[in-house]
Amino acid sequence: MSRGRRRSVLWLAAALAVFLPAAAGSQSMSLCRAKPELLDLGSPLTIARKSIADRKELRIIALGSSSTSGYGVSNPAFAYPAQLKMGLEKALPGINVDVVNRGIGGQDVEEMAARMRADMEGSPASLVVWQTGTNAAIRHMPLHKFERWLRNGLTLGKSLGSDFVLMNLQYVPAVVAAADKEAYEKIMATAAREYDAGLFRRYDIMHGWYEDGMPYAQFVQLDGLHLNDFGQKCIGKLLTRSILNSLNVQ
Amino acid sequence: MAALPVIASGRDIRLDLFRGLALWFIFVDHIPTNIVSWLTVRNYGFSDATEIFVFISGYTAVIAYARMMEREGWIRAAARIYRRVWQLYVAHILLFVAFTAQVAWVSIARDTPSLIDEMELLGFGQNPFQAILEAALLKFRPVNLDVLPLYIVLLAAFPFVLPAIVRWPLAVIAVSLGLYGVTCHYSWNLPAYPDGKVWYFNPLAWQVVFYVGACCAMLGRQLALLDRVRRPLVVLAVLYLLFSAFIALSWHYNPLERLVPTWVARVIYPIDKTNIDILRFMHFLTLAWLVRLVVPVDAPFLKWRVFEPFRRCGEQSLLIFCLGTFLALSGQVIVSHFEESLLSQIGVSVGGVIIMCCAAYLAAWFKGGGPTKGRTPTTAEVVP
Repeated sequence: MSRGRRRSVLWLAAALAVFLPAAAGSQSMSLCRAKPELLDLGSPLTIARKSIADRKELRIIALGSSSTSGYGVSNPAFAYPAQLKMGLEKALPGINVDVVNRGIGGQDVEEMAARMRADMEGSPASLVVWQTGTNAAIRHMPLHKFERWLRNGLTLGKSLGSDFVLMNLQYVPAVVAAADKEAYEKIMATAAREYDAGLFRRYDIMHGWYEDGMPYAQFVQLDGLHLNDFGQKCIGKLLTRSILNSLNVQ
Repeated sequence: MAALPVIASGRDIRLDLFRGLALWFIFVDHIPTNIVSWLTVRNYGFSDATEIFVFISGYTAVIAYARMMEREGWIRAAARIYRRVWQLYVAHILLFVAFTAQVAWVSIARDTPSLIDEMELLGFGQNPFQAILEAALLKFRPVNLDVLPLYIVLLAAFPFVLPAIVRWPLAVIAVSLGLYGVTCHYSWNLPAYPDGKVWYFNPLAWQVVFYVGACCAMLGRQLALLDRVRRPLVVLAVLYLLFSAFIALSWHYNPLERLVPTWVARVIYPIDKTNIDILRFMHFLTLAWLVRLVVPVDAPFLKWRVFEPFRRCGEQSLLIFCLGTFLALSGQVIVSHFEESLLSQIGVSVGGVIIMCCAAYLAAWFKGGGPTKGRTPTTAEVVP
C-alpha cells in the first residue's frame, strides 16, 4: 500500500470514528418515549367506547396530510395509521379494529374540512384522528382562517357522529422555524376543549425527544419536514397508548 | 453549420465511474439503518445520489443519441430511444414483481399470519388487481421503485427535445428552468395510485436535472468560458458546500443545530425532495462543478484498477440499479433480523456491493464475448 493511500485510509478511519456515535438512525423503539401527562388526550371518547361495548368494533379514520399518508417512509406499514391499527388490534383482542387512511399530502384544514363529509360517509367511523396544522403553519395561513376552518370541520364531523382527536404540528426544523407555530397550536388546543375533542400533543412529545438529545436525523427525514420511519412508528405507538388510556384499557 | 457544435466526447469515463458510484450510494442509502451510508454524499449536503444518477443519464443520452440523429436521422434516433424506454419499462415491471415476491416470501418465511395485511400495507389495498393495473400504468410504485418511472417519463419526452438540445442548448435550459419554476409554484404533479398520491420524484420538476445534464453535454465550450472566472466561482462553490454540510450535519448533532439562526432555518426549510428544492439542485451543480475541476477527463487515476468496479457498474447501470433496489430490501430484512447490529449493516452493505459488482462483470463478459476481448465500450459510446 502506497504511503498516500495509507494516509487516506487513516483519514477515512478518523472520519468514521468521529461520526460513529451519531450514526444511530436506529429503529429501536426503546428510544420512543413521552412524559405520561403528554399522553392524556383529555377526552373520554364516549362514542368509541360505546362502539366497542355494543358492537365489538372500533373504526377509525385517520384524516390528515403527508404525515398521515406516510410520505417518504420505507414501508407504508410504518405510517402512524397502520401502526395504530396494529397496536389497537393487539391490545383489543376480539374487537374488530379498522383504521382507514385518508391522508393526502400538502393539504390543510381547508381542503380536509371540505372533504370530511365524503370521507366520513364513505366509511363511517366512531373516531376520527385529525392531523392538521403543519402545512398551515409553514405556509402562513392566516390564523383566523385556520381557526374558522378547523371549527367548521369539527362542527361538521361531530354532527356526523364521531369522536375526534386532533393531532397537532410535528416538531421538525421546518415547523420550528415557522413564526406563529404556537398560535396554531393554541387554536387547536382551545378548539379541542370547546368541542370535547381529544388533543394528541405531537409537538410537545417530539419537542421532548429533541430536548432529550435525540438528533433530528433520528426522527425526521432529510427534508426537515416529514417524519421518518422511526418518527412515524413512535408516534403510532404513543397515539395507540393515548387512545387506550382514554378508553380506559390498559 | 455552426449551430451544431461539439458534442462532448464519448470517451468520458468519468460518467461511468460516477454513475457507478451513485448506484452504490443508492443501494447503501436504501437500507434504512446503515452506518455505511455515512460514506455517501447525502449526509454532507442537500443533494444525494439521485441527482447524480439523473444528471448523468441526461448527459449520456445526448452523447448516445445526438450522434445517431446526426448520422441516421431523427426517426431512427427516436426509435432507438423508444426501444430503450421499452427496456426500462420491462426492467421496472420485472423489478416490481421481484420486489413484491420478496415481500411475500419474507412474510411467508417469517410465518406471519397477516400476510394479506402486509401485502395490503405494501400498498396493494383492498383491490390487488387494480394495483397491478396501476403498476403497469406506472401510477402505483411501492417504496423505492420511484426512480425508474421517473427515468422512463423523462426519456419518453427526450426525442422531441433532442433536436432543440443540439441546436439551442441554452434555450432548452431556460425552458426547463421555467417549467421547473412553474411546477413548484403551482404544485403541479402527475397523479399516482392510490388516489390523492402523487409521484415521489415529480417528473415535471426533476426534468430540470435531466435536461441541464443533457445540455451540459453540448455546452463544453461555454463551460470552458466559465473557467476564466474560476477562482471566485470556486470560492463561492466551496462556501456553499461548507454551508450545506454544516446544515446536513446539524441534523445529527443538536449542538450544531442550535447554532443555525432561525431566519436561516425559515428560508431553507423544508428542503423538498419531490419537487427537488432549489437548494438541492444548486448543491448538486456546485458539487459537479468542483468535481469537474478536480477530476479532469484525462486524469490518469481514472484508469486505476481500484476504480474499475465503479466503472463496470456504471456501464451496466440499468441492471445494477434494479439489482441494488432488490438487494436493499433484502438488506433491510437482514439488518432488522440481526437487531441492527453494526456488523450486519457493514456485512450487508459490503455483500450487496460485491454482488452488484459480480453482476456487472458478468454482464460485461456476456456482452463482450469474454474478458479476453478487452474492454467493453463505455455507456457513453453505446446506449445509456
